[in-house]
Amino acid sequence: MRGATATPRGLGWLLLPAVLVLALFLGAVALLFLHAFWTKDGFSLAYFKQILDRADYHEVFLRTVSIAAIVSIASALLAYPIAWLLWRLPKWRNLLLVVVLVPWLVSLVVRTYGWLVILGPKGFLNETLRWAGVIESPLPLIFNDLGVVIGLTHVLMPFSVIATLSVLLQIDNRLEEASESLGAGALETWRRVVLPLSLPGVFTGISITFLTSMGAIVTPILLGGIRQKMAGTQIYQEVVYNFNMSKASAWALCLLILSALGLVLLRTVEAALVPKADK
Amino acid sequence: MNAPLIKLGRAGSLALLFFLPAPIVVIGATSFAAAGYLRFPPGELSLRWYAEAATDPRWIDSFLTSLGIAAVVAVTVTAIAFAGAYACHRLKPRWLATFELVVMSPLFFPHAALGVALVNVLALSGHLGTATGIVVAHVVCTLPFAWRPIMVALQRIDSEIVEAASLLGADERRIALGIALPLARSGIVTALLFSFIISFDEVTVTMFLTGPQVTTLPVQIYAFIQENASPVLAAISTVTVAVTLLVVMLLERLIGLEFFVAHDPA
Repeated sequence: MRGATATPRGLGWLLLPAVLVLALFLGAVALLFLHAFWTKDGFSLAYFKQILDRADYHEVFLRTVSIAAIVSIASALLAYPIAWLLWRLPKWRNLLLVVVLVPWLVSLVVRTYGWLVILGPKGFLNETLRWAGVIESPLPLIFNDLGVVIGLTHVLMPFSVIATLSVLLQIDNRLEEASESLGAGALETWRRVVLPLSLPGVFTGISITFLTSMGAIVTPILLGGIRQKMAGTQIYQEVVYNFNMSKASAWALCLLILSALGLVLLRTVEAALVPKADK
Repeated sequence: MNAPLIKLGRAGSLALLFFLPAPIVVIGATSFAAAGYLRFPPGELSLRWYAEAATDPRWIDSFLTSLGIAAVVAVTVTAIAFAGAYACHRLKPRWLATFELVVMSPLFFPHAALGVALVNVLALSGHLGTATGIVVAHVVCTLPFAWRPIMVALQRIDSEIVEAASLLGADERRIALGIALPLARSGIVTALLFSFIISFDEVTVTMFLTGPQVTTLPVQIYAFIQENASPVLAAISTVTVAVTLLVVMLLERLIGLEFFVAHDPA
């Protein structure tokens, strides 16, 4: 008998296109390993040795991880008050959400260009400060790590806002009411009730922004200049200028391993900080 | 009691919020300045940079390429996501959680690594530097963004409606196209617009895949910044901001923006 509870048949085919897309993705990742480990003499760690033996590359890795760590934490700290504001103003939330979403969805090359226009030696900020008589020669705001950190933090902040806000919106209003009726002030309620409950969102934001800054290329090249190399810019150079896919793949795997380590560390910190929900 | 403190917090947060659109506002203002840069007091206004952009075939071509690629990607990825999510939703396989983890996995890949991986695979099939290659890459990158809103919309459909239709003799095709498709339209429209805008604005992965024949607008902007800091860039950038704003407003009008901050009904 064919009833509503019977498992519908013939639907498995509908999964095929999605499976093909994922197979392509997994195949691409498999090729990454193949290129990185396979030389004409067979399996080898030669490409990894080429990378790990060079002291200047160590500096690139260190800079990549440090910038990603600073950027992801800075964007979480700066995004939190924005998420809090949107959470507290339900009437205005939709309009204010547009102010967050549009900068998030606008191409990051455009946003980076905006920072070039603002922070450049003859940019808006330097010219204004000079006009106001505050400075005499332009401040070096770009073509250094500072420029990269400012640009990346701004590029990634909207995502942190969204991750934090989506967790804040899940908080039961009655918890706050209970805390306040028990005599806690607004600040104490925030510190002891809202903050611990919103930390998972903050950590989701940090994880994704950390991953994104680890793999960033455009912002580091345009705001950091040629000498301020990061892993992403190094990979891009190997592919586009040196056509060395094996070395690029080895770089990409190093980047993946470092990113995974970063995520594991974040998970550990999160587990230590976030109170377990008692169910 | 704590009113002044809360007011101060709100003012500070609002200032931070308006820091987000600051660079695009500066670009927009620059694009209308005849002098090509911002200054106090503001100089003469002009549309000369827009006119210059509109007469340069490089900008027109890459703009049309980006629009075309984004449209094809949006329709393709939404169809793939709807078919897959619908099958998963109806069949509820035991491996669903694992499968969805794989669907979401491109999100956890740093873009530089994703770029190299896709170059490797597209070079094998000879699609490097072609529009087809870019479309395929964008479909891989946008699948997670299309999958989630559609899955959420499917889960919201009252299962009794499907049961009733089935008891009344509707076949699977009828249930899928006559019931699930229209009832999940909020998820489908969100997936279409969201994947369109991600594809239209994507640069980090795409810059690995463009070639002398095909380039997208964001990659063209990137290349142009490096060789020439002409204010034409401000005009072009403002056009991409306008496209993005248009899509976000459309989404807000048609569906609402709650999706971006809503959690999956679990």
